[in-house]
Amino acid sequence: MAGKTRVGIDVGGTFTDLVALDEQTGELTKIKVPTTPLAPEQGVINALRAFCEQAPQSKIVLVSHSSTIATNALLGQVHLELPRVALVTTAGFRDVLEIGRQNRSEVYNLFVRRPKPLVERADRIGVVERLDYKGNVLVPLDRASLDAAVEQIAKTDVRAVAVSFLHSYVNPAHEREVGQALRERLPGLDVTLSSDIDPEYREYERTSTTVVNALLRSLVTVYLDHLEREVRALGINAPLYVMQSNGGMSAIETVAKRPATLIESGPASGVIGAAYVGKELGIANVLSFDMGGTTAKAGTIFDGEPQVVGEFEAAGRTHSGRAVKGSGYPVRFPFIDLAEVSAGGGTIAWIDAGGALRVGPLSAGADPGPAAYGKGDQPTVTDANIVLGRLNPVALLGGKMPIDAGRSRRAVASLQPALPELDVDRIAAGIIALVDNEMAKVLRIVSIERGYDPRMFAMMAFGGGGPLHACALAEQLDVKRVIIPADPGLFSAFGLLAADIRGTAVRSILAVSTELDPKRVETIFREMEAEGREELRVQGVAREQMVFVREFDVRYHGQSFELAIHAGPIPDVVEAFHEKHERTYGYASRGDAVEIVAARLTSIGRVQKPTLPARAVSEGSPPPSGTRSVYFDGQGRVETPVYYRMRMLSGNTLSGPAVVEQYDSCTLLPPGWRLRVDAIGNLELSR
Amino acid sequence: MTIVQSAIDPITSEVIKNSLIYASEEMGIAVRNASYSANIKERLDHSCALFDRRGRLIAQAEHIPVHLGSLPWGLQQTLESLKARGDVMRPGDMWVVNDPYLSGTHLNDITVIRPVFFQGNLIGYAGNKAHHADVGGAVPGSMSSDARELFVEGLIIPATRIMQSDQVVEQTVELIRANSRSPEMRSGDLKAQIAGNVTGERRMLELIERHGIATFEAAIERFLGESERRLRTVLRELREGTYIAEDFLEVPSGEPSICIRAMLTIKDGTIAIDYAGTNRQLELPINAVFGVTLSGVYYAVRAVTDSTIPMNDGCFRPVTVMIEPGTILSPIRPAPVSGGNVETSTRNAQVILQALAQAAPERVSAMSGGTMTNVMAGGTTKDGRHWTFYETNGCGMGARSTMDGIDGIQCDMTNTLNTPIEAIEQQFPLRVTRYEFVPGTGGGGRYRGGCGLVREIELVDGDATFVLLCERHTLHPPGAQGGKPGGSGRNVHAKDGIEYKIAGKATLRVCEGERIATYTPGGGGYGDPLKRDAEARRVDEKNGLVCS
Repeated sequence: MAGKTRVGIDVGGTFTDLVALDEQTGELTKIKVPTTPLAPEQGVINALRAFCEQAPQSKIVLVSHSSTIATNALLGQVHLELPRVALVTTAGFRDVLEIGRQNRSEVYNLFVRRPKPLVERADRIGVVERLDYKGNVLVPLDRASLDAAVEQIAKTDVRAVAVSFLHSYVNPAHEREVGQALRERLPGLDVTLSSDIDPEYREYERTSTTVVNALLRSLVTVYLDHLEREVRALGINAPLYVMQSNGGMSAIETVAKRPATLIESGPASGVIGAAYVGKELGIANVLSFDMGGTTAKAGTIFDGEPQVVGEFEAAGRTHSGRAVKGSGYPVRFPFIDLAEVSAGGGTIAWIDAGGALRVGPLSAGADPGPAAYGKGDQPTVTDANIVLGRLNPVALLGGKMPIDAGRSRRAVASLQPALPELDVDRIAAGIIALVDNEMAKVLRIVSIERGYDPRMFAMMAFGGGGPLHACALAEQLDVKRVIIPADPGLFSAFGLLAADIRGTAVRSILAVSTELDPKRVETIFREMEAEGREELRVQGVAREQMVFVREFDVRYHGQSFELAIHAGPIPDVVEAFHEKHERTYGYASRGDAVEIVAARLTSIGRVQKPTLPARAVSEGSPPPSGTRSVYFDGQGRVETPVYYRMRMLSGNTLSGPAVVEQYDSCTLLPPGWRLRVDAIGNLELSR
Repeated sequence: MTIVQSAIDPITSEVIKNSLIYASEEMGIAVRNASYSANIKERLDHSCALFDRRGRLIAQAEHIPVHLGSLPWGLQQTLESLKARGDVMRPGDMWVVNDPYLSGTHLNDITVIRPVFFQGNLIGYAGNKAHHADVGGAVPGSMSSDARELFVEGLIIPATRIMQSDQVVEQTVELIRANSRSPEMRSGDLKAQIAGNVTGERRMLELIERHGIATFEAAIERFLGESERRLRTVLRELREGTYIAEDFLEVPSGEPSICIRAMLTIKDGTIAIDYAGTNRQLELPINAVFGVTLSGVYYAVRAVTDSTIPMNDGCFRPVTVMIEPGTILSPIRPAPVSGGNVETSTRNAQVILQALAQAAPERVSAMSGGTMTNVMAGGTTKDGRHWTFYETNGCGMGARSTMDGIDGIQCDMTNTLNTPIEAIEQQFPLRVTRYEFVPGTGGGGRYRGGCGLVREIELVDGDATFVLLCERHTLHPPGAQGGKPGGSGRNVHAKDGIEYKIAGKATLRVCEGERIATYTPGGGGYGDPLKRDAEARRVDEKNGLVCS
C-alpha cells in the first residue's frame, strides 16, 4: 500500500538518481537513469516517468531536485550558451569586471589565462554618477550619459542588463533610477541591480554576482519552466522545488530571481542529507565525506547546522581542495562550505619526471574508466582497490558490471619499472595512501582550517567510494566514529528529501558597535523579515512553519574579513564575536573597536522531515557470504570475511577486518574497527 | 647529476612532501585570517615556507615570488648573524628580522622565524614574511623615492626575539609599534605571523610523531632529489649555449641608464648566470639585496621550465649565480634597498627571461609592463587621524607565443590582489576617481600585449605625502619575435584644474582635492603584427583596445 511519497532527483555527471520515500512504510524506491547533458530536464523526466510506472502520481507530495545547469552553462557547455548581457557601471570603472582582483591564478605559469569576461568591454557602459561610502551623492546621476547608455543598448541584441554602481550597497537610488529608465524605455529588457542582488561592499565581487545572475536568468527560467510543464504533463501536481547552494530548497518562481543560487546545487544536498541523518542519530557535529568517480568533497555540520560560506568562484579551479582565487567568477551568496579535490575511483596513478609516484589530478572518468572496466590501461584508484581485494574482483553493481582483475593488476604493475623496490601490492597500497592523503586535506580544510577540532566530529561517508576509504581517513584525522548511511551511492538524492525551504537577504550597516542605533537595526531586520515572509508565503509555507534567523557580519574595525554572529543585544553580539574570533583565529582583541558590517536574514520554511522507520532487529554477527584475501597496511594479506549489506539487520555487529558489499558501494572495516548496524540501518563504525 | 639514495619508500616520501606543502599553505591561511592590515588581509602580501634542520627549503606555499626565493637565503644569513653574536635559537623562541642584508628583501617585509624542536633536538624551521605597510622612516609607507642610505627607509630590526619560552616578548612588539605610523596594525599583523608559524610547527611535529624522525629526514632527502632531477630533465630540453641579455632601470630624472646584464649558460641540465657588467650600487633606493636577485632567477627558471615541480632546495641545485658585491644586485650595507624588492627585482627577472628566450623562444612571453607601480601615501586628516596606505598596480602582460597578453594584471615578481575601491574609501581619506584599461598600450604583434591600467586617486581630507616608485616611463617593455614594444607608463598630478606630468619616482605633497594618477605600461607584442588574425583585430577595435 503506497502512502504519501517524497521524491528527490539528483542530476549527476553520469547518472540521474531518483530516490522516493514512502512516508508510511519507510520504503525507499531507487531509480538510476543516464544523465542527458544536452537537455538535463529530460533525464529528470525520464526518472520521474519510470517512477510513475511503479507508483500513482497522486501519492507524490513533493518533488525536489538538484540542477547542474547553472554551473555547466558557466563552464561553457555547448547548447547552454549564455546570452549577451550589457553592464552599466559608474563612469571610469567599466573595466572592474574584467580586472577582477588583479592577480593571476597561476603565479609561475607564463601561459596563464584569465577567465573570459562575462560581458565584453564594448557592452560595458559607464554612466556619470558617484556616491561616497556613506551613500552621499557626490555627482548626481547625469541624464545625458544615461540617455546615451540606453541608446547604445537599444542598438544591440542585448536582452539583459546588469547595473552596478560604486557604493550602491548603502544607497541604491542611482541604480534604481537607471533600472527604471531602462525598463520604461526598453520594455522586455531584463534588468538586474547590484543593490537588489548583493548589497555588500567590494565592487568587483558585487558586480560579478550581479552579472552572473543576469546571465543565468533566462537560461534557468526556460529550463525550470520546461521542467515544470513536463512534470505537470506526467500528472504530478505536487510542489516542485530546486536545491540551492545554501542547502535550502526554493520554489522555481523564487529561484528565478536569483538563479546563481543554483550553482552548487548538487553537492549541497549530500551535506543536507548528512545533517539530517546526524540529527536522527543525535549527532550534532558531523564531517560529511562524499567520494565519487572523479572528485571527493568534504563539508562540516557543527551543532546541527551545515556550515556556509559567503562567496564562491563559479566555474573556477581548485588546488589542493581550495578554490584558486581569480580562476572563476565570484558569486556572493551563501554556499554550503565544501572543499573539493580531484580524487575519486577513476583518478589515475602515474610516475612523474622525477621518478615519484603521483595520483591525480587526471581521471579516467566514465570513459575509458578504470582498467578493470575493460577499456583503459592506466591504473586508477579503483584498480588499486581491486588489486588489494578491497573491492570485489569479479563484478560490481550487484553483478551487473564484470570486473577484469587481471587487467587492474597489469595496470598497477605497469608502474613497477619506476618503483623497483616495491611489489604490486605495495604499489597499490601506495596509490591508496596517496589518494587518502589528498582526501584527508579536504577534511582538514573544512575542520582544522575553519577552527574545528575533527576529534569532536563523527564522519558520515557516502558516494560510491566514501565507505571504502572512510576508516583510513578517520584514523588520519583522529575521528573515532564513522557512519555509513543505508544507500551511500544515492545519498545526495536522499538529501533532497530532507531540506527546508530557505532564502537569504542582506543589508549593509557599517557602524562601530558603540555607535549603532538599535532602532535602525530593528527596522532593517523587520523589512527583511517582511520580504522573507512574503517570499515563503508564495512558496506555500504556512506561517507557523516559518523561522527567521538574524545574523550580523562583524569584524574588528580596520579588518576586512567578517564573522557571522547571531543577532541580539549589541553587547552580547560583541562578546560572541570576541569568542568566535578567538576560536577561529587564536586570539581576540577585546580593547579594539568592533564593527557591524551587515545584517543578514535567513528565512526558513520548515518542511516536515521524513521519519526513517526502524528495521528488523537481530543480534550477533550474520554469516559471511564468503572470504577473500584483502591487503591491509602494516599487516599485508589477510583472509577477510565478506558480508552482504542487504542481509544485515539492525543490531548486527562485526569486528574488523571485514568487507561489507552492497549494490553501489562497499565498506571496508580494517582490523581494530568494530561495526554495528543501528536501528535505522546505518552502519556505525568505531574503534 | 647526483641521485640521492635512501632507504625510505617512495610512498611515504610523497605523503610527507605533500603534507609539508599543505602545511605551508595552511600557514598562509592562518596569517591571512588573523592579520589586520588591508595589505595582508586583502592583498595577501605575505608568504610562508618550511625548512629542514640545515635551513634548506623543504616546502613553500605559492605566494609572492619575490618573498619566496629570498626566504631560504634570509634564513641562512640570519642564522649566521646569530652565530657571529654568540646567540642561538632555542626551544620556545620566535625571531623577528627585517634587516634586508640579513632577511633578504626590504625593511617593510618583516620575517618571523620559529625554530622547531622535537624531543629537544632542532628538526627544522617554520618561517613567514609579510609586507607591513609602514615601518617608520622618512615617508609614510617607508619606501622613500629619494633615500640615499638604508637608515632613512625605516626601523632596522636585526634578528630579535619576539617570543621566548612561548611567551610574546612585548618589548619587541612595542619597539616595532613605536616606530610605525600605524602601530595597531603592526601588532595585529605580527600576531598573525606568529599564528602562522605555530600552525607550521604543529604540522611538522605531527608528521614526525606519525612517521618518526629518521623517516621524516630520509623523505626530505628523497623529495629534494626528485625536484632536482625533474628540473634537470627539463633544462636538458632547452638549447645549450651562452646567452647574453641586458635591460635598464630609470634614474629619477627618467634616463634609463642603470644596467642589469646577465650572461646565462645552459649546459648539461644546469644554468649558470654571471652578472658581470651590471651597474655598481647607487645612492638610490633601487639596490636589490642578493636574496631578491636569487628570487628573480628562481622565478624565471621556474616559469620557463616546469612550474609544477615542487619548489624546494632541490630546485636551487642546478642553478649557480655569480655576482660581484657592490653592484645593484648585491649591494654592500648601507645602500638603500626599498625599491630593489619591487622594481629592480622585476627587471632582473625580465633580464633572465630575455636570456632564456634565446634558448627557448616559444616558452617565454614578450616582456610584461615591468613595474609594480608602487603608490604609498600617508598623512593626517583635519581631525588629526593619521593614516598610511600602500598598493601596487597591475600592468599589461607580455604576449605569448600562442596567445595575447592579459590586460591590467599583476606580472612577474608580484601577485598581490588589489584593494577594493569601496574598502579604500571606507578606511582612508582617499577616493578613487578612475580605474580602467589604457587603450593602445598593448604592444602590437601576431599576439598583442596586454594594456596597462590607470588608477586615479583623490585626497579628500587633510594633507598627505605621496611616494611613487614606477618604471618603464622612458624605455618601453620589449616585444618578442618581431612584436612591437608595449606603451610606456606615466604619472600625473592634478591640482587647481591643471594636470602636471610627474616623474616615475617622486615624493609629493598633496593637498585636499588634488589627484594623483598612475598610468601603467602595456606588455610587448609577440610575432609579426601583420600576421594578426583579422577577427582578433576586429574585437580589439570594437572594445577600444587597439594596439600601439
